[in-house]
Amino acid sequence: MTRAKRRWLPALLIPLALVLAVLTGSVQAGATVSLPPKTADEVLAMIARTQVRAFSGTLQQTAELGLPDIPSSTPGVTPGAGTALEFLAGSHTARVFVGDPTKARLQIMDAMAERDLIVNGKDAWFYNSADNSATHLQAPKPGAPTETLPSKPAMPTPEALANRFLAAVDAGTEVTVGEASSVAGRSAYRLSLAPKDPGTLVASVSIDVDSETGFPLGVHVQAKNQADPAYSLAFTDLSLTAPDPGLFQFTPPAGSTVTTKVLPARLTPVPDADSSPKAPSPHGTRVSGEGWGSIVMLPAAAVPAGLTSNPQISQVLQSVSGGRALTSSLVSVLILDDGRVLAGLVPLERLQSAAAAQ
Amino acid sequence: MSADTSKPLAPGVRPAVGWSLLGSELSVLFRRLRTWAMLLALAAVPILIAVAVKLSSRPVAPGRGPLFLDRITQNGLFVAVTALVVCVPLFLPLTIGVVAGDTIAGEANMGTLRYLLLAPAGRVRLLLVKYAGAVAFCFAATVTVAASGALVGVVLFPVGPVTLLSGDTIGVGESMLRSLVIAGYITVSLLGLSAIGLLISTFTDVPVGAMAATIVLSVVSQVLDNLPQLDWLHPWLFSHHWLGFADLLRQPIDWTSFGANALLQAGYIAVCGTLAYAKFSNKDILS
Amino acid sequence: MKEPSPTQRGAAAEELAVETHGLVKRFGQRAAVDGIDLAVPRGAVFGFLGPNGSGKTTTIRVLLGLASATSGDVRVLDQSMPAALASVLPDVGALVEGPGFYPFLTGPGNLMRLDSADRHALPATRRQRVADALDRVGLTHAAGKKVRAYSLGMKQRLGLANALLRPRELLVLDEPTNGLDPQGTREVRSLVRSLAAGGTTVFVSSHLLAEVEQMCTHVGVMSAGRLVAQGPLAELRSAGQRQVVVETPDAERANGVLARLGLVPAATPDGERPIEARAVMNGGLAGPAPEVIVAALVADGVRVRGFAVEDASLEDRFVSLTGEGFDVVG
Ligand SMILES: Nc1ncnc2c1ncn2[C@@H]1O[C@H](COP(=O)(O)OP(=O)(O)O)[C@@H](O)[C@H]1O
Ligand SMILES: [Mg+2]
Repeated sequence: MTRAKRRWLPALLIPLALVLAVLTGSVQAGATVSLPPKTADEVLAMIARTQVRAFSGTLQQTAELGLPDIPSSTPGVTPGAGTALEFLAGSHTARVFVGDPTKARLQIMDAMAERDLIVNGKDAWFYNSADNSATHLQAPKPGAPTETLPSKPAMPTPEALANRFLAAVDAGTEVTVGEASSVAGRSAYRLSLAPKDPGTLVASVSIDVDSETGFPLGVHVQAKNQADPAYSLAFTDLSLTAPDPGLFQFTPPAGSTVTTKVLPARLTPVPDADSSPKAPSPHGTRVSGEGWGSIVMLPAAAVPAGLTSNPQISQVLQSVSGGRALTSSLVSVLILDDGRVLAGLVPLERLQSAAAAQ
Repeated sequence: MSADTSKPLAPGVRPAVGWSLLGSELSVLFRRLRTWAMLLALAAVPILIAVAVKLSSRPVAPGRGPLFLDRITQNGLFVAVTALVVCVPLFLPLTIGVVAGDTIAGEANMGTLRYLLLAPAGRVRLLLVKYAGAVAFCFAATVTVAASGALVGVVLFPVGPVTLLSGDTIGVGESMLRSLVIAGYITVSLLGLSAIGLLISTFTDVPVGAMAATIVLSVVSQVLDNLPQLDWLHPWLFSHHWLGFADLLRQPIDWTSFGANALLQAGYIAVCGTLAYAKFSNKDILS
Repeated sequence: MKEPSPTQRGAAAEELAVETHGLVKRFGQRAAVDGIDLAVPRGAVFGFLGPNGSGKTTTIRVLLGLASATSGDVRVLDQSMPAALASVLPDVGALVEGPGFYPFLTGPGNLMRLDSADRHALPATRRQRVADALDRVGLTHAAGKKVRAYSLGMKQRLGLANALLRPRELLVLDEPTNGLDPQGTREVRSLVRSLAAGGTTVFVSSHLLAEVEQMCTHVGVMSAGRLVAQGPLAELRSAGQRQVVVETPDAERANGVLARLGLVPAATPDGERPIEARAVMNGGLAGPAPEVIVAALVADGVRVRGFAVEDASLEDRFVSLTGEGFDVVG
């Protein structure tokens, strides 16, 4: 080889080495981890017994529901009623810190901005850096030691999501243990929940369970007719040590606008893990059907006023006979002209026939 | 010639590493009027922002304009961060493009390249020293914006504890420290662009061409980074983490983007550096 | 690293400062340098003569490692190039294709900059060496000015000063008198002579014959990328023909006499006086002695008013070698 050609060698080898490094990196990330085999029941027992109470980590949430593009909230846009929709498309990164059952903090890391939810005993704060506003959320009965704000359910961790799915596991669900994987640098069992009901849009739900502690590290929901997970929430980074307690002390910064809100008695409107899906709810919500294919029906009175007039929401709605609907690869929502709302992990036709059956 | 004409170094004595070339490079760079003009222009950005905010009768609505613009009136230390956010997409790449694009092509254009090589500077050594000069300018440019911002902020506005993106508050001392870390982050961010400029500069004897090409690439990279259709490409664009220094304003500091950014820039340095080495060491100096 | 050159034949062979074999440099298809074999003895003042575009600068660029040779070998100061570039160049001072300086620095500032690029140069003596070099080329008075304000001649002098920053074994000067006034030209000439007297080999290119004739001991002649002649100046000169010039009104009779003596009458150049007879002396000095010729002319009744034996001018020689006219300046 001539001298001149030899000098091009590093320019060839270095990029080659980089490409190899990137490829082996991604191969290793997807490489199967070898763990002692466990049955589905053993893994379920691990989750139930997990002792992880304090941790800090980074969560990655991705939703690919096949919805039309929703303009993501930018620092300039004040988050409004459409904010919830934002989590139905695209991906978000958040850091979560959980100290003890009464202390937790969630940081949604936006570009050049951040939204923080800090729960500390009876107090909770929501801070939005985009408009420098702080909201003080207070428990309804101050002073009562039992009425502290629940911290773990308030944090959207894979554990909370996994428990919700596991609560729905019944005879209509096939529970298996798949190949072990590596999540946030930890080896994990992959528990797979597959609905037998052909009527649901859910193909399977897999839960990555830390092989050491039984702590759920990730939840991925696979929709029928879609290769990529429709929804996934997983740690990309996790430390099982208690975070700095100073993180849970929040004082609204000077110059911020502070509002105070007293929370209603029930903090979370979604059914808790222990509540049966058929239990009558205070708002007159009715559930028809069983398991994965069940449909939630809200009477017009329970639907917040002006929901459909929100521009961001109306953007994703399409007109169908009898009302308007949101269809996605995982969830369908039907808003009838009389104000009733039906929703479920089922195709839109099932909602329409359920509405007609009323 | 007289007796004192013996070689300054006896044969067999290893030559010095040659830090004096680096010193000379820095002094040539920073004694140049053009360099000072660019640094002054950069220093003017935070001053303009601060003066505009000071003179404007209406307070800036929260969430409008670049990061922290609404908070400048309450705390002058925010001027530096706001100015950096304003400078990162265009002004900094513009000046770095001028310096990095000029590295080799500028010397070729002035006819000094052949005399440096005949000195002999050594082609690899010259390339390294030129790159080091560009890096020094990146740092100087970033620090200029930050320092000018902090100064004008202190002069025009009250100064106090700084609110982070997370809503937590830090003292003046720590905020200065974080400003330095941010300056370091932005310097690292610009290393890839500097390497690209150096590479382009070895391909031409026309410095303006190399400068323009470097600047255009920095704009193209940022445009591509904003096209959702190309999201597979985004993590590989050298400008992808440019605004990621916001992660240094969270509590606790999130070092993830710092690490990812440093790794990405190192990749660009390795690839562009070896290409520049191959091109420059084989190049016929005909200027 | 100083091994004997493989091309050096025997101890009697001259030690060469610059040596090339079959050196070719192509730009695309065109060969700017087309297989030249240079041999520049140590201690010589070598004039590298050739018309514009004949490949002088390109050769120098290859010699100094600025450009790579398409093929052929190059040895400078007994070391193979470009492999030994780093160890050879500190001993070589060069001025290539005019001066190149930072217009925004002063003269001394430029020299300090270029000197600091040389790892072998001692920083401690830098300031003094720069001052000495400036003094040597007569630029001390302009030391405070930015190079932007220098005239072409001043820049040329500064370029020479750069070549003289350190004691050198070899100086390569590409057209060093370009842009200089007559005074400057004279100064360069005497500078070259004094350097040569100190033992430095000087390789100086020029398109001016007179310049080369005045300061060189050896000459190489380039024409369209080829080295058409090379050797000591005196040798090239004597290789030329001698002529007898007779000034007489009887030109025809004189030619007859000269022919009888074995000389070859030459045509009288156009525009010259018809009272002149010219004849070429074949065999150089071996021909008839001048006094014999004059006696024979006088004996034949030729009215001899003037008589001279002339060496062929180098100019004629080079015109015949290169087939091109030179831009000859007194
Ligand atoms: N960069 C270049 N690209 C192409 N051809 C060149 C280049 N430089 C010189 N040449 C050609 O090489 C030949 C020799 O040029 P040069 O060595 O500069 O001549 P000289 O110095 O004797 O005047 C010329 O014909 C010129 O056109
Ligand atoms: Mg020339």
